Amino acid sequence: MKATIRNKLVAGFSGVLLLMAAVAAIGGYAVFSLRHDANDATRVGARLNSLALEIQVHDLEASRRVKSYLAEAAAPSGEKKRQMYLDEATFEINEIQSLAAKAMAIAPTPQTRAKFTKITEASTQFGRSLATAVAANKAGPDSENAKAATAAYEDAAEDLHDSAEDGEVVGHDASQTSLEAIDRTSSRSVALVIGISTLGLLLGITVSYMLARAILIPVDHLKQVAENVSLGNLDMAVRRYSDDEIGDLADSFSRMVTAVKFFRMEAELSQSEAEAAVHEVKP
Amino acid sequence: MSAVSDKVIAISKTYLGPATESFLARQCKGHLKVELANLTAANIKDLAKWVQEGAGLIMDADKASQLASRISSVT
Repeated sequence: MKATIRNKLVAGFSGVLLLMAAVAAIGGYAVFSLRHDANDATRVGARLNSLALEIQVHDLEASRRVKSYLAEAAAPSGEKKRQMYLDEATFEINEIQSLAAKAMAIAPTPQTRAKFTKITEASTQFGRSLATAVAANKAGPDSENAKAATAAYEDAAEDLHDSAEDGEVVGHDASQTSLEAIDRTSSRSVALVIGISTLGLLLGITVSYMLARAILIPVDHLKQVAENVSLGNLDMAVRRYSDDEIGDLADSFSRMVTAVKFFRMEAELSQSEAEAAVHEVKP
Repeated sequence: MSAVSDKVIAISKTYLGPATESFLARQCKGHLKVELANLTAANIKDLAKWVQEGAGLIMDADKASQLASRISSVT
């Protein structure tokens, strides 16, 4: 394809347009990606925080039920009430384990997962200690065995309580981490868009400069030649700078200047010949 | 006009524009002693030599040489 001015302009501006389209596409992708990441991070962080708080509530409920059970353990009657406390405590432990399993499934890091695994283990230990304490208290609430089993249960309850608190901290951290992830994605997107825009601007300036040079330099040369010819100087060479419309114009101009030179030379020659003839006639 | 004359005029037109026929007629008549319309292949070598010389006076040497070279390839 001939590198005409039209083709140069079309190619230059198409390039700039393509670049602008690329900038828009990258910007759009960055915003979409940011929104997606932000949604994901917020959802996971908020859900972990909520699960950790629910675990704490169930932990408190379980401890309250067991406390009520142990308070009633010494009473000769009220077996039905004790069993109800025990069933409710077991329900709370199962809830804690179910919530911890859900938290482990969505935990974003191994450290977070480990905290909720610890809650599961602590709740299992809590259940076992409770069963031992219940059995010992049934055999004799004032026995050494019952006291030891109750103390072991209290240790397990304390351990579960601590684990639940750790879980809450991790849930809170996950929310915080999600905000940091949004910040990171945001910074990355801004840097990317600024980088691509700067590159686009530099390329746009370069393309415009090259197009301007490709057009202005040969036009300026032709203007100088035209001025010289108009002042009678036919000796200035017409240069063909490029193989485009301006190059063709330079060729046409060159032909015209050559013809004018020739006709002028021919006229001068004819004049000399005429003058010589006059001299011959008039000695 | 002979076919050779037409070819020479067509080639020269791109270099000499409206002066083509006057320029070639002057070279043919002045140096080769033939009419432009009656050019034959036998005149081409000499014509190319005189064209290079004459054109060198009104255009730059490279262009004149290029024109002479193109004329000399006419058969």
